[in-house]
Amino acid sequence: METWKRWDLPTNEGTRIHRIGDRRVCVAADMVGDQYVLAAMALPPEASKGARLSLPSLSDKAWTRFYMDKAEGYELAPAYPPIPTCVRLKQPFSMAPGSTVEGWVFSRVEACVVVGGARVAAFPLATPYKTLYGSPEAGVICRYDEEEFLAAAEPVASSLHADQRFVAHPVRLRNASSEPVEVSDLCIYGEQLSIVGDETSMRSERLLFVFSSSGVRMSLDGQAPLPPGSRVLAKPTVSGEERFIVRSFELFKNITRI
Amino acid sequence: MQATTATTAIAEAAPKAAEAPSRLREIIPLNNAVFERLFTVDTAITAARVVLTAVLGLVFAGLVITVLRKVVTKRMEARSGGLIVKIAQYLAFAFIAISVLDAAGVNLSALLGAAGIAGIAIGFAAQTSVSNFISGFFIVSEKTFSQGDVIDVDGTSGLVHSIDAMSVKLRTFDNRLIRIPNETLIKSNVKTITRFPIRRLNMDILVTYDTDVERARDLLYEIAAAEPNALRNPAPAFMVTGFKDSGVGLFFGVWFATDEWFDGNNAMYIAVKKRFDEEGVRFAFPTMTVYQEKAAAAPKKPYAGRAAAGRPRGKNGS
Repeated sequence: METWKRWDLPTNEGTRIHRIGDRRVCVAADMVGDQYVLAAMALPPEASKGARLSLPSLSDKAWTRFYMDKAEGYELAPAYPPIPTCVRLKQPFSMAPGSTVEGWVFSRVEACVVVGGARVAAFPLATPYKTLYGSPEAGVICRYDEEEFLAAAEPVASSLHADQRFVAHPVRLRNASSEPVEVSDLCIYGEQLSIVGDETSMRSERLLFVFSSSGVRMSLDGQAPLPPGSRVLAKPTVSGEERFIVRSFELFKNITRI
Repeated sequence: MQATTATTAIAEAAPKAAEAPSRLREIIPLNNAVFERLFTVDTAITAARVVLTAVLGLVFAGLVITVLRKVVTKRMEARSGGLIVKIAQYLAFAFIAISVLDAAGVNLSALLGAAGIAGIAIGFAAQTSVSNFISGFFIVSEKTFSQGDVIDVDGTSGLVHSIDAMSVKLRTFDNRLIRIPNETLIKSNVKTITRFPIRRLNMDILVTYDTDVERARDLLYEIAAAEPNALRNPAPAFMVTGFKDSGVGLFFGVWFATDEWFDGNNAMYIAVKKRFDEEGVRFAFPTMTVYQEKAAAAPKKPYAGRAAAGRPRGKNGS
């Protein structure tokens, strides 16, 4: 990916602007004594449309500032939002008892500035709306996303694959209950997933959702060997386990009326 | 002179000491009968038994309470665990006291009878304290709130600072400590504000009668949709609450994460005010319209002037 990589510190070129979708992430370097200060900020879409950008001074509060020991550069990396993402399907569908469906869902990532392995700043690439996943008594506050559930063969999948703001989640849904279930929301616990990217797209591990009378369980469904040229852009933040280790957690609660 | 007296005393005491059966009597000059009754082998054994009972009781009670404290700390919430440990301590001390008295040969039936009478008297005297203590158990069993929750008790709201045997301490938002007896909590309506993950902001809005209500409704939905912290699910709720004295009453409920409710409240009210002003939607407030009748060409009479000044006929455009 042309954006998600390591960058040198812009010591002699003013402010560097990374364009990601309709957002722009600005990175600048300043000197305080013999130390460098990295400053980063994101511009909202309306600010990006203007012909001439007028950025605040580096001492403005709009900038996130980070002191660096040396001009070691920084990395621009994708990351899942700090809270789970609830993807509302634009077209909910029902699953018959015993049936299995495979496809893709997409969720938005955030742009992180990483220095020396530490996350310095994170900027949402869309307005971070929120929603509740589950019941009002015991639900989970999630980042709101609204996307389509796509079959793997659909051509539109490739266009979303190429969008740097989205990470694709290959999913397999299985209705193990004796009654039909309606799938309308998918909750992605990004902190437990990694992001793998190649030149054109980003994807996570394959996810398996099993509906039963006791609820819905999600687990990792394994992952094929990495395609040539791909690399790990983000690792799980709450688990040291790598691929192929099943990590069970509840994902769906109210997408079914079992 | 003094030296002479001391010498004489020693000289007198020497023959007495030779006559005495024990050295102890020489040291403690008690009446023979009393001394013999107090310092017998049985008394010594009883005293040893009392001391042994007390020491063993304290050690045993200490062990039990330590184990109990560890167990309840792991498995129970702080309030319930603390209460159980406290009760165990009281019971242990009572048990030790009874055992010690029994070991001392005290007639416990008489003592317990007296204690019962004293208990009734103390019970009457400590009625409030006992009531608070027992109320604490009901509060614990109901699990209405826990430490760190924000609660509202009859208009007093704050963060639950500590939950004790007799009372609950609240830290108010202006940083005051308020002690609420458990008995009061049992009798009052307690609102636990932070119990659930989401909370609704209830906005009561009054717009003038010339307002396009459907337009106002659409604007409210747009404002909620533009607010990042407002939850998409559950969806906002809109209701026309009726034709009020001064205008049309609207209700708009927006859900927020409980810990973002405060910011959401401010953001929504500011946004509604700003947007309604921009769109020309007017807020209604209590008004009174006064019509003035034309002064009739009547002969001047004492009350004619007042009638001509007019009188209120209705409210808000009526």
